[in-house]
Amino acid sequence: MTFALAVTVGALFALGTFLLLRDDLVKVIWGVTLISQAANVYLITLGGVTEGTSNSVPILADHHEPFPVTTDPVVQALVLTAIVISFGMTAFALVLSYRAYQENETMDVTEWDQ
Amino acid sequence: MNDVIAIAPILMAFLTGTTALLVRSFPRLQQIVSVAGTLGYAVTVATLVWRVVFASDAMSIAYQVGEWNAPFGITLVADGLSVFMLTITAVVAVYAIVFSVRFIDYRNQRVYYHPLFQFLLLGATGAFLTGDLFNLFVWFEVMLMTSYVFVAFYGNSSHTAAATRYVVLNIIGGAFMLLGVGGLYATTGTLNMADMARTVSASGTEMGPVVGLSALVLVTFALKAGLVPFQFWVPSAYRAAPLPVVAMFAGATKKVGIYAIIRLYFTVFGNATLPTTVPGIPSDSLLAFLAPVILVMGMSSIVVGGFGALSCDSLDGLFAYSSIGQIGFIAVAIGIAAATTVAELRHVALLATLIFALHHALTKGLLFLATGVIRDAVGTTQLADVGGLGERSPVFASVFLVGGLSLVGIPPLAGFFGKFLIFDAAGRQFAAHVTGDTFGAASAVVVLIVLLLGAVLTILYSTRAWMGTFWGPQTDVIKTGTVDSIEVLILGTLAVLVICVGLGFEPVYQFADTAAEAAVDTDGYVKTVEFGGEGA
Repeated sequence: MTFALAVTVGALFALGTFLLLRDDLVKVIWGVTLISQAANVYLITLGGVTEGTSNSVPILADHHEPFPVTTDPVVQALVLTAIVISFGMTAFALVLSYRAYQENETMDVTEWDQ
Repeated sequence: MNDVIAIAPILMAFLTGTTALLVRSFPRLQQIVSVAGTLGYAVTVATLVWRVVFASDAMSIAYQVGEWNAPFGITLVADGLSVFMLTITAVVAVYAIVFSVRFIDYRNQRVYYHPLFQFLLLGATGAFLTGDLFNLFVWFEVMLMTSYVFVAFYGNSSHTAAATRYVVLNIIGGAFMLLGVGGLYATTGTLNMADMARTVSASGTEMGPVVGLSALVLVTFALKAGLVPFQFWVPSAYRAAPLPVVAMFAGATKKVGIYAIIRLYFTVFGNATLPTTVPGIPSDSLLAFLAPVILVMGMSSIVVGGFGALSCDSLDGLFAYSSIGQIGFIAVAIGIAAATTVAELRHVALLATLIFALHHALTKGLLFLATGVIRDAVGTTQLADVGGLGERSPVFASVFLVGGLSLVGIPPLAGFFGKFLIFDAAGRQFAAHVTGDTFGAASAVVVLIVLLLGAVLTILYSTRAWMGTFWGPQTDVIKTGTVDSIEVLILGTLAVLVICVGLGFEPVYQFADTAAEAAVDTDGYVKTVEFGGEGA
């Protein structure tokens, strides 16, 4: 499981970086979105995916064995916040990219002035 | 035991921002709410400063959100360093908002200008007060979200292009910070800054990852502060945003990056030591390890900012580059403080950092707003198109002159003390190394030379701005334009403030002294947070 997650994080970062370096603005936005998501997946893996205990996951106190595998609840809360923030950012970036396209009349960022 | 005064500035900015949203159909009322709210914000900050620094029973105040005790809940901490930064922000914010009402086009003000301004203020305030690392990330994003809109505010081709670059860069910066914060949580097992300080001071924590991850977070802080090599968003974003907001960017949001560096590396990681010694670095503390990085970033910012300002052909671009250079001075002072192990030198260097930050916020705020007056009067800030303004409005010229001289560092203006203390710290560092340690002495000499170069460059570009704008024959646009006397009056009071900070320096020094002490007082910070519950 940890190995699969590590590969996923690596692949997401690689793909995100690749898209970020394109000329096309939409691909750039996709790139930053992927990088934000990669950071989120990385965060989730940090606590380790292990069998939960009632000590780390309070809700399991009323449950009986066997406990399901789970990640640290704190990082889940962090990721939830980070997902909401990156959702807002992506929405704003998409709107901004459309306006930038209207004003600069091209999606190719290398052809913009300055 | 929860004292609401600690979060009063946050509440004030939030309340004003939401009220301004609610009354947006009544533009006049919205302006009144916004200005009154910002004044109220300044009052709450002043009260907080009194309680934390100047009162006879002055002490740092912690606020546990929702009464969840640290380290489980989110803690907000108002100590000397936080309230010093809040004071800078409050002064700049009051001037920026009052100036905005006059300067920003009436119709533009109706486009959510006032709510956005309040939320920008809210983000900066939260970042200064929070005692939780992930919460710091959230406040950063609050601040950034509004600053994106401000960079894109005028919505033309250059503004949207600048905003797009700014957004992309900061989302990547945000991802880096998330990686660093998450990693620090995984390593130390806590997000509460005070708890983290306890953990890294105690033996048993693996320090290798902490070094790497804290360096990752430094990238984001340097990006916020606009230090080389993360400075390239600064000129285009500063040229695009409305000028009163640029005054806020230079005065408050850049200082958030500086504050975060001081808070995290001095307060939280101040006592951390590395398991191995690194060649060329005398002590084994985490700070000494990061010091060369911060010093090099600061020195290159001074050089890049200085030469960039010299070659800029518009007044706002010139001041934007100058802002990179001035932040470089601040970073060099932080670097000196980090490199040394002598408590006294570290204190002097941090004091220099804070005084310079205060001076830069006031002076650069004054100069950016003065640029706004010029743009309002003649519609351009290109140095080639303006000239002879001194003859047209001598009062405005003298206000600008105060700003220019303070930037250069002429006594008794605010800028003099900032620069003096930084050179004092650099000189002391040289004196500490002059016997024996050749490498240390050589690097101290390099720092001194770069500081001198920076000072000379500051004189050159300030002179260039002054001569290009105020001397020489009057150009056509200057002859026909009118300088708004109310705007000049507002700036005049700010110029008087710059002079007063210099003349009545004693209380300012005392305040900064307390703040610099709070910055390195890890034990005091941990004690203020007062852990409760099982984690204690």
